[in-house]
Amino acid sequence: MLRIALVMTAAAVAAMPVRAADREFKDVVETISEEFHTSPTHIPLFGLVNMVAFVARPAGTKHIDLAVFEHLDTGDRDGRDIAQAIQRAVGQAWKPFVRTISNHGGHLESVFVYVRPDGRDCKFLVATIEPDEATVVQLKLNPDALAKWLASPQLAAARKDWGEHGSRTRDDDDR
Amino acid sequence: MRIACWLLIALLPAVAQELKLPPGLDKLADKATETVDVTMDQSLLQLASKFLSDKDPDEARAKKLVAGLKGVYVRSFQFEHPGEYDQSDLTMLRAQLKPPVWQRIVGVRSKKDGENAEVFLASDGNSVTGLAVICADPKELTIVHIIGQIKPEDLRDLGGNFGIPKFEIGGSHKSDSKEE
Repeated sequence: MLRIALVMTAAAVAAMPVRAADREFKDVVETISEEFHTSPTHIPLFGLVNMVAFVARPAGTKHIDLAVFEHLDTGDRDGRDIAQAIQRAVGQAWKPFVRTISNHGGHLESVFVYVRPDGRDCKFLVATIEPDEATVVQLKLNPDALAKWLASPQLAAARKDWGEHGSRTRDDDDR
Repeated sequence: MRIACWLLIALLPAVAQELKLPPGLDKLADKATETVDVTMDQSLLQLASKFLSDKDPDEARAKKLVAGLKGVYVRSFQFEHPGEYDQSDLTMLRAQLKPPVWQRIVGVRSKKDGENAEVFLASDGNSVTGLAVICADPKELTIVHIIGQIKPEDLRDLGGNFGIPKFEIGGSHKSDSKEE
């Protein structure tokens, strides 16, 4: 009986695409959809990720919202001029934290990181724009994960390694 | 010293101090292979300090420093080839870093490597109100601007955090220029 209940719960969670995503996350997703004439790719069973994150807190991450876009219709524009649109979408509650632009051999990649306190935790909203694809991630991080970001924000943004910080967390002690 | 540093915008109403990023510098982003812009205003710094531990000596030291800061701004450009930016791009910035508010306290120039670093200190007559660093390497330009109560030697403790490059700077408050 318990097994059935667990399976049903997992299935229900997995079926929820962007449950509890903040309005700003949805606004950024909408902005990118409009600006690049595309829509986010469906990620099967993504709800399971949050179920795991809620329990295991990998790399200090308590919640993840993710939207991936492919085949952007960039026209004659690049990632640079999307900055203002994203800023409008996130609004005043989110603080611009890091912005990186890489241009290697004409391959332009822009990363925008916004941050917002959320009780004892902190939320990050990271938008990555590449010529052919874009990613929007919203993370709820605990203090240890935040400390890693603060130690080297540009490196974390450039590597997009929000999932590679150490898994032992101060939050474990808090629980 | 691979990274070149400099400073961004400062807003210190008490001394009407405002450093503006010259438009020419923004255009450098078009030439640069890597552009990094880190913004930490007072609210973000306060948030950061809440998460720094009192038990860890390094974090405790950083926490104490952060308590007196109102903003940390870092802007960095990396270029593929030397000479893709011009010293004149920095002229407008340096023009803002003048007495009586600003004092240039350190200047290092390496003829061999073409690396330059300058540290400027802002004060209101009684206390330090800000610090600016310009590091200009042939292929890299970094600007750091810190607003708030900070001493040059504190850069050592802040370096490597908040996007601030690591520095080895002495504590002299006298104007000090040297060439290698």
